[in-house]
Amino acid sequence: MSNQPQSANWPRWFDPRSRSLGTFGFILNRVTALGLTLYLLMHLIALGQLAKGADAYDGFIALVKNPLFKLGELLVIAAGVIHGLNGIRIALNSFGVGVRYQKSTFIVLMAVAVLVIAFFAFKMFSEG
Amino acid sequence: MREPLSPKRLEGSGRWLLKIFTGLLIVVFLGIHFIVNHLVAPGGLLTYADVVAYFQNPIIVVMEISFLVLVVVHSFLGLRSILLDLDPSPMVLRVVNFVLVIIGTVAVIYGAWLALTIASRG
Repeated sequence: MSNQPQSANWPRWFDPRSRSLGTFGFILNRVTALGLTLYLLMHLIALGQLAKGADAYDGFIALVKNPLFKLGELLVIAAGVIHGLNGIRIALNSFGVGVRYQKSTFIVLMAVAVLVIAFFAFKMFSEG
Repeated sequence: MREPLSPKRLEGSGRWLLKIFTGLLIVVFLGIHFIVNHLVAPGGLLTYADVVAYFQNPIIVVMEISFLVLVVVHSFLGLRSILLDLDPSPMVLRVVNFVLVIIGTVAVIYGAWLALTIASRG
């Protein structure tokens, strides 16, 4: 239990020193989870424009095609890809699969994540 | 990074397993969602007419509502899991459970209503 997070010691949560790669994997999973949950609620609210009809929704789509929204959208895709790939590792490890190789699996999956994010970034920003 | 990950003290193995399985299913649904919305759609995003046309297929409606249920269950179980790190008292945990169930249920009902409304406009 010595490695359990303690609420009384919360400032330590934000101290990156003396952390293992696994801890960064854990932090990455938690931070992306919080971001994606916030996005889920915002996404549902924004999609409410669909119920208002074509003018409302298409006007909203025109707004989110500006570079600032695209950057936000790319962050969501990045969070989804990182969380999803890291999550596959966690799921496999949870059932005892590949536990010995989880460090190298993490590195490989995050490298794949960088490539997928770069692909989406290129695709999204090259379309104008 | 050697020990297998295990359910946390207050999470329980049922919720923990549900989080893992919904997560794996979401990877599949999210892959389809990203491809449809960001790779297939011209200009990167579907227009109103595209969304209505997409929702004319009943399989898509069932898939999108299932996706919503999976995402809501997974994200709220995950949020609860993060909140457990703050060592909540049993009373606070009961409030957290209640709030998450209410918000999750409202989100699913609202999302399903939206999906069915769009599907009916074809």
